[in-house]
Amino acid sequence: MNLTSKPLAAIILIILLGGISLSTAMGWWQTESTKVAATYTEGEFAGQANPADIRGSYTFGDVEKNFGIPAVVLAQAFNIQTENPATFAAKELETIYAESEFEVGTASVRLFVAFYNGLPIDISTDMYLPQNAADLLKNRNLTAEQSAYLESHTVPNPAAASDSPEVDPAQTAESAPEAEATQSAVTTEASTERLVKGKTSFQEILDWGVSQEVIEQIMGMPMPNPLTKVKDYCAEKGLDFETIKAALQIEVDKAGQ
Amino acid sequence: MKLFGKRLFRPRSIWIRKIVQWFFFLLIALISVNHTLVENGGGIPFLSTASLHALCPFGGVVTIYQYATVGTFVQKIHESAFVLMIIGFVLAFLFGPVFCGWVCPLGTVQEWVAKLGHKFFKRKYNHFIPAKLDSVLRYARYIVLAWVVYVTATSGTLIFAEYDPYFALFNFWSTEVAIGGLIILGATLVLSLFIERPWCKYACPYGAVLGITNLFRVFQIKRAESTCKADGACSIMCPMNIAVDTVKTVRDHQCISCLECTSEAICPVAKTVVFTTGAVK
Ligand code: SF4
Repeated sequence: MNLTSKPLAAIILIILLGGISLSTAMGWWQTESTKVAATYTEGEFAGQANPADIRGSYTFGDVEKNFGIPAVVLAQAFNIQTENPATFAAKELETIYAESEFEVGTASVRLFVAFYNGLPIDISTDMYLPQNAADLLKNRNLTAEQSAYLESHTVPNPAAASDSPEVDPAQTAESAPEAEATQSAVTTEASTERLVKGKTSFQEILDWGVSQEVIEQIMGMPMPNPLTKVKDYCAEKGLDFETIKAALQIEVDKAGQ
Repeated sequence: MKLFGKRLFRPRSIWIRKIVQWFFFLLIALISVNHTLVENGGGIPFLSTASLHALCPFGGVVTIYQYATVGTFVQKIHESAFVLMIIGFVLAFLFGPVFCGWVCPLGTVQEWVAKLGHKFFKRKYNHFIPAKLDSVLRYARYIVLAWVVYVTATSGTLIFAEYDPYFALFNFWSTEVAIGGLIILGATLVLSLFIERPWCKYACPYGAVLGITNLFRVFQIKRAESTCKADGACSIMCPMNIAVDTVKTVRDHQCISCLECTSEAICPVAKTVVFTTGAVK
């Protein structure tokens, strides 16, 4: 059987695009991480989430879900000034710490999580933590080797965040339950204020328990990057923010009941 | 094919291949731009926002080891890369590395630069490297392949992204791009002025994998010796410098199934160089 260019072109397109369509229909076409960290496969910690699998796309909220460390504690550790620490992606650290002599990024989050939760991590390479993170870790159960590593791998807090509130290690670092208390304080504060406003992002609405499906139904179009502000997106798409806001608020209230 | 009275393709070329190449180039470029736009709060509606890593079949290849041993993907690689890898293998098993010759946008860009090279150097183009040295260098991409698979398996991270010119081509505007990738992309484009598809010939690890299928693929490039005029046109035309006129069946690991050597394109005798499953005389 001979084949010429035109049928070959058609077959290539059919196999490629058809294969993608088929895999989409079967639910195999995933272009994003499911944000479930891989687990240790052997040893004492087998079956537990492994911090080495934290990726740059993980938000502090994802880290919280996988490792139980409240996003607010992570934000304090890394001096992140944000109203919603759960939406902060680990990879953004590199930009915030761009001026730092040593790189603070996703690897730093892995290190912090491992030390904070007493999980094993390979420290044969250099990973750095800001001073606040080191302070928080001082009251955790670190081995002598880990303490020495921390000592030599701490960088100053970024200048821009120097006016951030001082972290009281005793308050947040003594134990995870206490850290959770900090988190719940923040959550309570947020939950009394579950109002859709001009600066509310889609992520906040998701965090308040409204599903993406419902948001998309209200918007009548796919949801953009969750970090986008609802008001900005409405303006961009020519939607009436007041109407959308009211509809979203009803769903937020329903979810909060 | 003509546009505004001007011929778009040389007569008897595989013009449909150029259209398919353009299609995939634009598609990948738009998706990459969309990925950046979405990260900044914008985005083009109805278009995928996937990262380039999610759309690279080679990502599937490098993650096989981790998937088999740990059950997870290498960081930045997702299920879609696995799906594309399987599709790439199906295509290659049937037709050889058509992904390289028809789909890969980096190959396409190298071909665009090659047009300039052809203009500057005429027949000398693509013949600067001594044949003996060239034939040895052609295996360098297997060394690259072995290195990439090894470092990915041992580190669990996509170290090749630091050097990948394909990623650099579609992310040169983003903060995600690595300087190593940009340098290799620049070198590839400059070398393309002298050599056709230098990255594919000497360094591409994915091309190395797909090239193996040239040994057993279902549809093969075959030359009918009984009608061949031995004018060497097929060999001169071949972008990968394969001496088509000296073999009955092209089994060279570098063939990209571009069909430019066939009787549909450069070969002047009908049914002499064909893409077929059967035997030719
Ligand atoms: S042998 Fe023919 S099909 Fe293969 S690369 Fe050369 S010109 Fe293209």
